[in-house]
Amino acid sequence: MRIGLLTEGGYPYVSGDAGLWCDRLVRGLAQHEFELYALSRTEHQDNEGRFALPPQVTRVRTAPLWTAEDDGVVYGRRARRRFADCYGELVAALCEGPGAEAARYTPAPQADRFANALYGLADLARDERGLVGALRSERAVRALERACRAPGALRTAREARVADLLTVTAHLERALRPLSLDWYEDDALGAVDLCHAASGGPAALPGLLARHFCGVPLVVTEYGVRLRSHYLGGGPGEETVPGGPVGGGTSAPAGSAGAGDAGGAGSGVGSGVRGGTRGAARRDAGPFAATAVSPAVRALLAAFHGRLAAEVYRQAARIIPGNAHARRWQERCGADRAKIRTVHPGMDAAPFAEVGEAPDAADPDTLVWVGRIEPAKDLVSLLHAFAEVRKEEPRARLRVIGAPAGPEGEAYLGHCRILAAQLFPDEADGLHSVGDNPVSFEEIGGPEAPTPADAYAAGAVTVLSSVVEGFPLGLVEAMFCGRATVSTDVGAVVEVIGGTGLVVPPRNPRALAEACVALLRDPERRARLGAAARARALELFTVEQNVAAFHGIYLEVVSQCPVRRVVLDESGEPLPFAVPAEAHVASRWTGLSSRFATRRGPGWAAGPPVRGMTPGPAVAAGEGAAR
Amino acid sequence: MSGLGELDRPGTPESPGAWDERSEEWALADDPTATVDDSRIPTGGPAAAEDDPMTSMDAPMTPVDPPVGPLDDASGSRPAPAARPKPPRRRAVDPVKALMHRHRDLCERAVDALEIAAGLEAHGVTDRTAARFRHRDVFSLAEEMYARVPHDGDRSGPATDTTGRPAARDRASSASSADETGLRPRAGWVLLSLLPGLLCAATVAGLRLTDGRTALAVAAAGTLAVALGLRAALRRGPLSRPDRAHGHGTVTRTCWLLAYAALGDGLLRAALHAGPDSPPTTASDGSWPLSAALLLTLALACAPAAWCAHLLAAGARRRLTASRGLEEFAASIRPLLLGTFTLFLGVLAGLTALCAVLLGDPPAYGRTLTLGSLLFLARLLTVHRFTHAPQLVLTAAVGAEALALSTVLAARLPGCQALGAPVETVAGAWGPAGVPALVCGAGALTLLAHATRTLTRASAHARPDAP
Repeated sequence: MRIGLLTEGGYPYVSGDAGLWCDRLVRGLAQHEFELYALSRTEHQDNEGRFALPPQVTRVRTAPLWTAEDDGVVYGRRARRRFADCYGELVAALCEGPGAEAARYTPAPQADRFANALYGLADLARDERGLVGALRSERAVRALERACRAPGALRTAREARVADLLTVTAHLERALRPLSLDWYEDDALGAVDLCHAASGGPAALPGLLARHFCGVPLVVTEYGVRLRSHYLGGGPGEETVPGGPVGGGTSAPAGSAGAGDAGGAGSGVGSGVRGGTRGAARRDAGPFAATAVSPAVRALLAAFHGRLAAEVYRQAARIIPGNAHARRWQERCGADRAKIRTVHPGMDAAPFAEVGEAPDAADPDTLVWVGRIEPAKDLVSLLHAFAEVRKEEPRARLRVIGAPAGPEGEAYLGHCRILAAQLFPDEADGLHSVGDNPVSFEEIGGPEAPTPADAYAAGAVTVLSSVVEGFPLGLVEAMFCGRATVSTDVGAVVEVIGGTGLVVPPRNPRALAEACVALLRDPERRARLGAAARARALELFTVEQNVAAFHGIYLEVVSQCPVRRVVLDESGEPLPFAVPAEAHVASRWTGLSSRFATRRGPGWAAGPPVRGMTPGPAVAAGEGAAR
Repeated sequence: MSGLGELDRPGTPESPGAWDERSEEWALADDPTATVDDSRIPTGGPAAAEDDPMTSMDAPMTPVDPPVGPLDDASGSRPAPAARPKPPRRRAVDPVKALMHRHRDLCERAVDALEIAAGLEAHGVTDRTAARFRHRDVFSLAEEMYARVPHDGDRSGPATDTTGRPAARDRASSASSADETGLRPRAGWVLLSLLPGLLCAATVAGLRLTDGRTALAVAAAGTLAVALGLRAALRRGPLSRPDRAHGHGTVTRTCWLLAYAALGDGLLRAALHAGPDSPPTTASDGSWPLSAALLLTLALACAPAAWCAHLLAAGARRRLTASRGLEEFAASIRPLLLGTFTLFLGVLAGLTALCAVLLGDPPAYGRTLTLGSLLFLARLLTVHRFTHAPQLVLTAAVGAEALALSTVLAARLPGCQALGAPVETVAGAWGPAGVPALVCGAGALTLLAHATRTLTRASAHARPDAP
């Protein structure tokens, strides 16, 4: 099968997020043919180089999102009118209200307004071979102004000033650049059996158009919900997709940092920062936090992205969130529950196999914290909890292993060091030996912990004390190592850990301490939990399961909504019988009608018709085969 | 953030119970401000079971152990034992209101409920936390918060209150954006815009001081230097093109116009008197004089042109943030555009007089002003991404000038005297400089009319690199 992989600021570029995940997917599914359609986000990214692509990637097409030269297309009168109509409809739909909310409550015809306008613009771009100039033109600004001043428009939109109109127009022009691409011909996206968008938002837009023009089914994977990261204000940079860092997912600190989904990675959430360093806590980062962006701009752009997300969810054959949190957002934005399949991100278990299989050789009194040091990790809470632990277990030690993230992390690390020195005086075995602090701060790669696996192996219990967390890759690594864990109930922690570790509320040092003490005192329980955790991680979070899940979804989608192509001969005439009849069977047998007939059961239960009718044997057989 | 920080108590808790009523009492006794006590969050155990079907699968193997004590009910309204009732004053506090107060920045700037939900989640609020506010999930909690934010009163306040604050804010924001986008005059382009004028002045001085073969070398070197300086001046600052794509058409046309300005008048005069008999000279009384004053004026005019373009851009940016509608913007920018153009004309006239005095030639106002304004308007339009009309008009001007010369020369052919009549008429009325002045004037007027239509559009002043 031929799969069109759509990425935005992602895969083939070395610096892209989700690169590792896509690379594993492509390499893991060597039996399929992949065509790569990549949108690059910055010029820097474009210049930085690409992954070495495996042979199953038969074609790579890229397009920059960061620049668009004026294509010089001059529209005729009819094209101008068409553009004004479509664009006016589009912005009028935006001015109606917030997109995702509207998608949930408005009836279908109004929800279609945005979609129709979008496809109208796409048709226009295809016919006229370019849309950039028109999207920048005064006509577009005028249409936007008219929509904003129309009765029934959003209150915030009505207050838009000319500068706001220009900003929104520029944003829309940028967001709609994929419309002007020439990817939707029969020799490009028209020839694939399936489009797989590696993220929502701009990456899914080519998929939508391929579906519109060629009927290619679309699968959307969202490890970080695009709409959410838009709200958090970072736009592209905020969204990170798991799969670990480029280095192979083996470096725990960066790996944990990679899961910035629920983290709002750019937001310096000051919850863990107390006292003197609180001033360092930033507000939500990103351009939208800046005062320069007015409410009108934010409202209109939120409406656009919300509606785009709703349309993507509506048209996608399958929606694949990476965790329950992303799933909730998708459902909230109008995704149909029946289409959602959660596929957890996979990680490479091999580096942790040795530690995981070996008998527990760790110091039974050592707690380990591994991760990237930043305020959101709430190490202060951990230190206070450790003070409690020391009261119960005087021989306990805590090893904090990880590198600080950025200047803020540096400051936070210094703060934590001071706090540790205040809370815990240095201790020595006797009067004549040099003392040492029970809390140590180390980095991965040092002599004590050369690899992440060694870091996890050093402790009897692994602790996670974050107040904000996305998909906790560090926790998964600890599970691979077969460690018993104590974590705070944030982000996807509960979903990841299942029943194989202790979970306490965030920002509750006492509960954290109690859980740690309970585990330190009970080696058997530790071993039991560790073994269960490793088994669970191997079952759910390996690369293999990830790839297998996608393989299954591909097959499912292709069998249920195949592309219907009319094959033409040399003279351009339709070629009868070019597609064998079997090609259509799968969809018919699992199509809606047969399923409905059997699910509904006897006809007399559903409505007035014939009494005593039962599902015929043929239909029953069909159901059996379909299953 | 600050709110969450307040919630957290840095002190080491001394009693072991965390989620029972004792911890609540402790919180009550110590902290009357904290309406929401984190120690009462239900444990992850039951939440895990609700959250993930896989949990229930694994649960029999090793169930999640809640570390301590009995659990609150999901809503967290009050603990089951109810041994000691809460003080009544705490019942009166609305927990959602307290939450809204804590996240008031977020609530005030949110444009819809989802934004509040995203912000709350970024601050660590989960569905479990939302359950304590009697909400199913963060979304419904955010919806309540969004609905309760006083939108109309607060929002319209700063917008309608035009007395001082918003204007000051606008000014501040436009000033800051001006800093970011380089709208402040920078030393770089200010100095660069002076470069062509200085180089041209040096060349003219060199030509005056030398003669013969040396003068030819000086002229060649000077031309090259001025061209390079001009190129450098137009590379940066307000006269630089945002997109450096195709544009060589205007360059050749401009070069032709300048060359004609330097040599054309003399050639035309000579041609009208059956010349030219000698190569062009710098002496103004020669048979084919080089109009150095005109070139010097135009080169010096680069600086005022850059300044005028800068004034226009800065004024447009200010009016963009200030005006509420496109019509209003157009109405406010038109006088600015015309004023800027008039200012440029005035400065150009001054420069013309100055150069005439310096070089000892009679000032050719009509000739200089028309050509200068034509070039200025063409560049201004090009800078604002309207390349089509300047190209057209410049081409027409070049064609007209070339036609004028060729008709005069063609009129020498037998039987073609009539061809030279129009140019001779014009030259007879206003001198040979009248022909290019007429052509350039017509072109400049056309471009001015075009500019008042196009440069008053808001989209013309959009930043091309806007995200």
